[in-house]
Amino acid sequence: MDFYFGLIQLIGVHTLLGLSAYIVLLTGQVTLAQAAFYAIGAYVSGMLTVLAGWHIVPALGVGGLAGAAAACAVGFPALRVKGLMLVIATLAFGEGVRIFFFNFDYQIAKGDIKVGPLGGEGFRQIRFFPENGWTTLEVMLFIWAFVIAVMALLWWFDRSRYGAVLRAVGEDEVAAQSVGVNLTAVKVSAMTVGGAIAGIAGSLYAHYTTHIEHSSFNVLVATFAIAYPIVGGLQSVFGTLAAVIFVQGFLIEGLRGLGDWRNLLFGALIVLAMNLRPQGIFWRRGA
Amino acid sequence: MLELKGVTRHFGGVRAVDGLDLVVPEGSIFGLIGPNGSGKSTTVNLVTGLFPLTAGTIRFRGETLDDLPTHRRLQKGIARTFQNIRLFGRLTVWQNLWVAQNSPEDRARRGFVARWLGGNRNAREEIAPLLEFSGLAHKADDPAASLSFGEQRRLELARALAARPKLLLLDEPAAGMNSEEIAQLRERILALRARGITILLIEHVMELVMGVTDRIAVLNFGQKIAEGAPAEIQADPAVRKAYLGGDTA
Amino acid sequence: MLDFLQAVSDGVLFGATYALIGIGFTLVFGVMHKINMAYAAASVGAAYTGLLALQVMAGAPPWVVFACAFLAGGLLGWLVYLACFHFIPLSHPLATLMSTVGMLLLIDEVVVHVTDGMPQSYPAMFDDVMLRAGEFTLRGDLLLVFGVCVVAMACLLVLLYRTRLGLATRAVSQQPVAAQLCGIQVARVNAMTFVITGLLGGLAGAMIGASVGTLSPLLSGPLTVKGLIVTVIGGLGSIPGAIVAGLLVGGFENVFQLYRGVTERDLYVMLLLFVFLIFRPGGIFAARAGRD
Repeated sequence: MDFYFGLIQLIGVHTLLGLSAYIVLLTGQVTLAQAAFYAIGAYVSGMLTVLAGWHIVPALGVGGLAGAAAACAVGFPALRVKGLMLVIATLAFGEGVRIFFFNFDYQIAKGDIKVGPLGGEGFRQIRFFPENGWTTLEVMLFIWAFVIAVMALLWWFDRSRYGAVLRAVGEDEVAAQSVGVNLTAVKVSAMTVGGAIAGIAGSLYAHYTTHIEHSSFNVLVATFAIAYPIVGGLQSVFGTLAAVIFVQGFLIEGLRGLGDWRNLLFGALIVLAMNLRPQGIFWRRGA
Repeated sequence: MLELKGVTRHFGGVRAVDGLDLVVPEGSIFGLIGPNGSGKSTTVNLVTGLFPLTAGTIRFRGETLDDLPTHRRLQKGIARTFQNIRLFGRLTVWQNLWVAQNSPEDRARRGFVARWLGGNRNAREEIAPLLEFSGLAHKADDPAASLSFGEQRRLELARALAARPKLLLLDEPAAGMNSEEIAQLRERILALRARGITILLIEHVMELVMGVTDRIAVLNFGQKIAEGAPAEIQADPAVRKAYLGGDTA
Repeated sequence: MLDFLQAVSDGVLFGATYALIGIGFTLVFGVMHKINMAYAAASVGAAYTGLLALQVMAGAPPWVVFACAFLAGGLLGWLVYLACFHFIPLSHPLATLMSTVGMLLLIDEVVVHVTDGMPQSYPAMFDDVMLRAGEFTLRGDLLLVFGVCVVAMACLLVLLYRTRLGLATRAVSQQPVAAQLCGIQVARVNAMTFVITGLLGGLAGAMIGASVGTLSPLLSGPLTVKGLIVTVIGGLGSIPGAIVAGLLVGGFENVFQLYRGVTERDLYVMLLLFVFLIFRPGGIFAARAGRD
């Protein structure tokens, strides 16, 4: 049973990661930086609970804020970089953050042992949940509380004027600004919200896996982040959720026998999906 | 209402607009015509701020526009339609209008949170009259990309109106229309003037221009070669030459 | 000072491989306005495939390995084209982008599986040759790498500017619809672009292996990022830009490594990119902005 809870935890965190990219993709900005904000949230919240003894909830909050702040800082220069160049720039930024954490040491002594991030070794012993007696089921429900909250928030955005404006900007920036839309505010705000969601996702990830390191936040993860909303379709948040379930559920459950070949299948699956349904798996005509 | 003085725009070596002086009086319907490449669309882009000026000034209601970004010019009251329709195809008809509600009046009407994150019922009621005026009420929930060409043109105009402009720049609105559609467009333009909107009409289709404008300016190679009432322009030999390259009866 | 010059010189020579990778990215972008994210991975994959020659013919001379990598690159390039660009309508840019990412993952994983994740040693030529000028050395193998890359670039330029295929390619990159109306088969040109850049990539991968001495499956991630950095610094779509930028990045990278060590080196290369993005987002040879 614990195995299934673990899988559902993973799906939850990946859904948040996908949603963090979803809102940015709506504005037409293709971002490979979500893994970087995810990493920042993970390390910041981990350090708060492990090194400063904070409770998980405020640590999560600060993790989200850290992700948001980083995303906002990236959002402004991102405005100057169009289209495919933005993909490259965010990819480079993401790799830069990963390399930063690869070199990042901050340890303090706790009793006999030292805890905290240690460069290439990563950040071990993020044990808030086990130390406070949380069961796997409780952690899973905790994660999914956030997933549901974020999905509800984005679903609400989609039905509000903000959502329509986000999509208008994604479709035609010139037309949007000609009818009075402030492109800077819209694009940076979307990036910031995405960063906050990624930061929260990263914080949850750090605590449920208890051990993070730089390679947990590599190009593959950045790719997962945008793959989910693209494969699921940008029409609705449920597409992203469905894509995560499809990819992680199918890969993990359905192909467990294939062991290490899973990542290979992931690549092949993406290629196949894009050839068969370029508009996204859950696209409906006229939606 | 709108004053251009010495307005110039270069693209590398090309002088798209060269020392243009123009005054559009408030409440008028002003025509801007000229052969292809004469700088008409560039002028619109300069007035709305999509391109920066190489030289000259543009004043709107006495205020210099300078570096004001496009979306702020809209908030001052300048709206435009596009020659190649640029609707938000994946949004519905009424959502296209919703996105455009950025005028100071609309912004003052409700609080920030309510305006951006509130539900859409109030908005739909507010937008309904505009849809009626444009004959698009029955298609309110259809994606804009599914509209016919004529309907898309009407939506393009409706969207500009949703911003409650004081000056409306129409960029070749009659392209591809038949006589009946042109007559309807003429009526709509006159109705807009009756509501107090000043109109700058960039157009090729003479049937519309001659029938609806108070005053016309003619551009050629980025410069103004003539200006006057429609009848004067029709008789002007310089205009004939620019369009037809020689004198014709 | 000498160390610095040595670092620059070695770096610039090695940078020729980055230039080839940059050219590959930039050419595909110029012709199709798309980024082939799988390009660097395919280049590494082709380099590995070159090693198969040693399996078939034990003791084969290095140039055979290089030639196999070259050809394998062309084949892989064509496969990437088929998988990502032939069937997917170009009006879905996100879909084509994602499919190239999928191919990147796929190629990477295949390489990891076939090699069990272990680095493989790569043959080199002239690695025992050293030209000296006092304390300053020019490594023979690096000179070869540089030379091979320069010849490849020259061949490419001849192809682009002196052949019909090259003319068609340039036409398609400027006006795909008009080119079609003139009877140019755009799909064929696109496919050929992938084959040609694939050939260059395979060669670049082999040269990287030859100069470093080993090939590691972990190479494709950083190579993708660096290749894209070169492309951006050089200006998207500009081949001369990619050449200059490749040499530049190679030189800078080595200097960063001299002063800050291997682990931090890549961070500074990123910073170089960001500096360019802020001050010259169009790149060294930015295409002039048009009227639209």
